[in-house]
Amino acid sequence: MMCTSIMMTTLTSLTLPVFASLISPNKKHSYPNYVKMTVMYAFITSLIPTTLFIFLNQETTIWSWHWVVTQTLSLTLSFKLDYFSMMFIPIALFITWSIMEFSLWYMNSDPNINQFFKYLLIFLIAMLTLVTANNLFQFFIGWEGVGIMSFLLISWWHARTDANTAAVQAILYNRIGDIGLILAMAWFLLHYNSWDFQQMLTLNSNPNSLPLMGLLLAATGKSAQFGLHPWLPSAMEGPTPVSALLHSSTMVVAGVFLLIRFHPLMETNMLIQNLTLCLGAITTLFMAICALAQNDIKKIVAFSTSSQLGLMMVTIGINQPHLAFLHICTHAFFKAMLFMCSGSIIHNLNNEQDIRKMGGLFKTMPLTSTSLTIGSLALTGMPFLTGFYSKDPIIEATNTSYTNAWALFITLIATSLTSAYTTRTILLTLTGQPRFPALTNINENNPALLNPIKRLTMGSMITGFLITNSIPPTTPLQPTMPLYLKLSALCATALGFLAALDLTLMTNKLKMKNPSQMFKFSNMLGYFPTTIHRMIPYQNLLMSQNLALLLLDLTWLEKSMPKMISQAHTTASMTVTPQKGMIKLYSLSFLIPLTLALLLMM
Amino acid sequence: MIPTYMNIMLAFTISLLGMLIYRSHLMASLLCLEGMMMSLFIMTTLIALNTHSSLINIMPIILLVFAACEAAVGLALLVSISNTYGLDYIHNLNLLQC
Repeated sequence: MMCTSIMMTTLTSLTLPVFASLISPNKKHSYPNYVKMTVMYAFITSLIPTTLFIFLNQETTIWSWHWVVTQTLSLTLSFKLDYFSMMFIPIALFITWSIMEFSLWYMNSDPNINQFFKYLLIFLIAMLTLVTANNLFQFFIGWEGVGIMSFLLISWWHARTDANTAAVQAILYNRIGDIGLILAMAWFLLHYNSWDFQQMLTLNSNPNSLPLMGLLLAATGKSAQFGLHPWLPSAMEGPTPVSALLHSSTMVVAGVFLLIRFHPLMETNMLIQNLTLCLGAITTLFMAICALAQNDIKKIVAFSTSSQLGLMMVTIGINQPHLAFLHICTHAFFKAMLFMCSGSIIHNLNNEQDIRKMGGLFKTMPLTSTSLTIGSLALTGMPFLTGFYSKDPIIEATNTSYTNAWALFITLIATSLTSAYTTRTILLTLTGQPRFPALTNINENNPALLNPIKRLTMGSMITGFLITNSIPPTTPLQPTMPLYLKLSALCATALGFLAALDLTLMTNKLKMKNPSQMFKFSNMLGYFPTTIHRMIPYQNLLMSQNLALLLLDLTWLEKSMPKMISQAHTTASMTVTPQKGMIKLYSLSFLIPLTLALLLMM
Repeated sequence: MIPTYMNIMLAFTISLLGMLIYRSHLMASLLCLEGMMMSLFIMTTLIALNTHSSLINIMPIILLVFAACEAAVGLALLVSISNTYGLDYIHNLNLLQC
């Protein structure tokens, strides 16, 4: 009906600037502005189908162009406009619009700004392909598309070796996850004979765990769960708009989105649910611990993203995919805004990213510091801001579900650590005396910078309320619980906040001691990248060097033919020889017949 | 047994043991060989004198001649070993050892 054509309008209008850059590459004077306007119009037009969906609760699927039609498999270009994609598309478009406007200010002095905007747009198209895909093939196209654009955008300043290393790291870790996705795709093709979500999810709803393990591996790779996580902090080498768009709101939630799409299959498989729960719990705690001792503001926000992704996995692990999706939507707002505020601070302090060299920004950058505070409060789950509407139900659901108590406990600890590192960030960047050089030109009075931040601030405050009151009812949650369980998230957050506040204010005038072992563990990300990135390639290269160069010569010359023959002869002759050269023993043995003769004669 | 003969046979036995059991020098073995020869010479001389038979008189002289030849051969071996290895340590003679 109407919403299908409007949705197709939205999706295809996003591809127009890409073609414009191909056809007439030099004519657009303000190509970035054109791209931003396109995204804004796409956002506005996508609100109409979403509103229709909210009122009618009618899911649609668009089957267009039949691409490959064989006897056993038919691949089409099909778009699934259900609850998940309908809610996600306007949010993604809104955030992309704000980030594009922000990068008009941030990347202003970059000569390749047109290419930057084109890359951001291609990324957005790939992400929307992923979200609206109705079959796994189209999903895979979007999945790989976001991976490639992530690579291109992280290594935007490609003359910097750290950026290239980080981009290759992202590709490698995502590839390991892709193995899982391709395994799942192959299994589904063999056993369910189709890659369409409708067919896969309604057939035998109790498959063996192999495809779900593949999907879990894919989510681990793409969403930076523990084990395949180092690429996300390293991805902060890219420009701040890239970090805000890809590595906080959209790309890293693709893995969680995959698991949410397959939730009918995961409902019945307790093994996969337990694995997801434990993996998410470990991730959220480990990332929160690592975020406590970082000194780069972008890395702190990256670890915060990673920790929230772990929380989303925990939610899937307790069989609440709709809550996880709600957390995806709300988390996008305040995380993108946190990144944009960090970008504003970084640019204004002349590209200083170390929080130990910031301070006293409340008076000089009032709007940025206000929105940073609001975003941090939303992140920690301040009641009735955005984060509260998704994070608090998650904690309540984990408290009241029949699940692994250890995973629940460390999730609560991670919640308190969230507010601890957030408090530390705010105290060190915004309060106190300035620790940056005195000759700065701090100027945030640019509408291209302020309007997106203001929009996302409003979003961080009211979107939770709006979304929660307008979505159709999903899986029912436990409405009644004891008071201490209801307040557990709030108490954990308050505890972390008070502890961090106290520690920071008490100790920032003390003499700095040598860092303790715990600090070093936390600062070096648990030594995970240090050991894995060096040891495994070194062993591989050593083994390949030995195999290629040494092994052949060793075999043919020493072990099989010439030296082996001489060795065999020597060993044989040593075994059977009568001569041993033990002269003293031989002369001693003369005594034996003598004594024997004497004894026999007597 | 007459103590004289027992004395001489004891000397012979001690020299025999000394020739077969040695620590490090080859010279010790050669010296004990000389000792054996001498005790045999003394014994044959005493037997020749005590039995008053002059036909046995030739025995000690021939024994002495052969002892001298064999001593010369032994010393020649010792000198050649000493020329090769510098000393006459027994554990130098290990060319056949594997």
